Amino acid sequence: MHGAQSKRDLAMELQAQLPILRPSIHTRRANLTVKFQDLYGFTVEGNVDDVNVLNEVREKVRQQGRVWWALEASKGANWYLQPQVSSLSEGIVLKSSLKFSALANAMTLKKLIRKGIPPVLRPKVWFSLSGAAKKKSTVPESYYNDLTKAVEGKVTPATRQIDHDLPRTFPGHPWLDTPQGHAALRRVLVGYSFRDSDVGYCQGLNYVAALLLLVMKTEEDAFWMLAVLLENVLVNDCYTNNLSGCHVEQRVFKDLLSKKCPRIAAHLEALEFDVSLVATEWFLCLFAKSLPSETTLRVWDVLFYEGAKVLFHAALAIFKMKEEDLLLAHQVGDVINIIQRTTHHLFDPDELLTVAFNKIGFMTTNTISKQRKKQEPEVMKELDERLRRLNSLREDDR
Amino acid sequence: MSFCCTQLVLLGDSGVGKSCIVLRFVRGQFDPTSKVTVGASFLSQTIALQDSTTVKFEIWDTAGQERYAALAPLYYRGAGVAVIVYDITSPESFTKAQYWVKELQKHGSPGIVMALVGNKADLQEKREVPVQDGIDYAEKNGMFFIETSAKTADNINQLFEVFLR
Repeated sequence: MHGAQSKRDLAMELQAQLPILRPSIHTRRANLTVKFQDLYGFTVEGNVDDVNVLNEVREKVRQQGRVWWALEASKGANWYLQPQVSSLSEGIVLKSSLKFSALANAMTLKKLIRKGIPPVLRPKVWFSLSGAAKKKSTVPESYYNDLTKAVEGKVTPATRQIDHDLPRTFPGHPWLDTPQGHAALRRVLVGYSFRDSDVGYCQGLNYVAALLLLVMKTEEDAFWMLAVLLENVLVNDCYTNNLSGCHVEQRVFKDLLSKKCPRIAAHLEALEFDVSLVATEWFLCLFAKSLPSETTLRVWDVLFYEGAKVLFHAALAIFKMKEEDLLLAHQVGDVINIIQRTTHHLFDPDELLTVAFNKIGFMTTNTISKQRKKQEPEVMKELDERLRRLNSLREDDR
Repeated sequence: MSFCCTQLVLLGDSGVGKSCIVLRFVRGQFDPTSKVTVGASFLSQTIALQDSTTVKFEIWDTAGQERYAALAPLYYRGAGVAVIVYDITSPESFTKAQYWVKELQKHGSPGIVMALVGNKADLQEKREVPVQDGIDYAEKNGMFFIETSAKTADNINQLFEVFLR
């Protein structure tokens, strides 16, 4: 896997590009498009302002790292890996001072995570706080190796689709789009398709697993992160064969948009613009296909600690940020262009997360679960009707 | 000068080349490693005609995996044109295309214009769906038919020109 060395090289390369751009900065800066690689090796196209933003983000990441090291020095190594701290923050009554300090830590950690986990700590922090470590500890040490060996050479509809999608996942990425990258991604996806045959393989998981591989560094840890995501973090049946969970999330999202951004919701409804047109991809790829890599990973930092409600925060924030522009749009195509331009250029994660957590208002996992329950029967009815319609089409055939 | 806007949706099995057709039309390039589509992706292309009319195509390129089919109405609901694509080297994709035709006949917007497209026409030596099968099926269903190759650009512009009439 590409290591710290190559990252440093990329940074140097970027620095070297800047002086060349300077002479024309005043006249042509808005039109100049430069191609460069970001922290995780993805090719990014942007203008000079985008490059500057990315450099600022790098500096902020370094500063945030210093905050984490300082806390580690005062609170002790791995203080943030205390299990179950997340449930404490949901309002359990505490008596002893020991529990009080745990709550204090949980609140510190929540704030800290919203400001970003330093990339070097991500594998460790994600693995522990998401519950992946616990999940892994309930099965024999050799589980992943045994699984990948047992399924080697087997062909199923899922493996055929995976093979088809490997080169189409993040084409051109310096590691993911190599034979080793394809092989690692294949083992994770194929392994999971056998672990849960209801899910098998769903397009979208390829992007999620690929980013997990880049962050976690080892295939086995990426596999367990994928497992905990699908089995514990996200809503049930998000990726199963009729995507019912995903349909539920879309309906909940529409309701939330009307509540949290009523002007936008009303305007889009008048244009007959269904927000699922753009939001479906966000929820299925967890933004991996829409947002720049560090911004996506910052959303995931919070996702693994606070749960699936974070996806709603981020999705609402994208609309909220562009409220004025969206209200001026009078065609569906314009709405989509505004949204796509916004997501592709969100190089500063704080720009998104500040809106997501300070301007959307409070949402608890509990209230979202209730809304999901409310939507489920309607979704199931709709999917059943569709199935019946399709079957009748098939019967016409005979 | 007049302006009109055509909403177009592409449907068809996974990997038949829907995204490649759109990219060829919009960007004029063949990208052998286009990305897997999730949900659908949106692209638009404006064309100026000789009589100074401007036509804007707004294109929904949908995901092909079976489980995404239930999302399709979201994208074809407002469409005036549906392009149903199969791969001439894959009989399964041709069968799948026929289901899409039936679904749209029943549930698409009334008056929707449909085209049946056999893509990957450059792979003649691997052909498994005879041209005549495509022609016959399209004729029976009152559809326009064309075979294209997003790879060589063959018939791509011709495909979209049909909807200008």
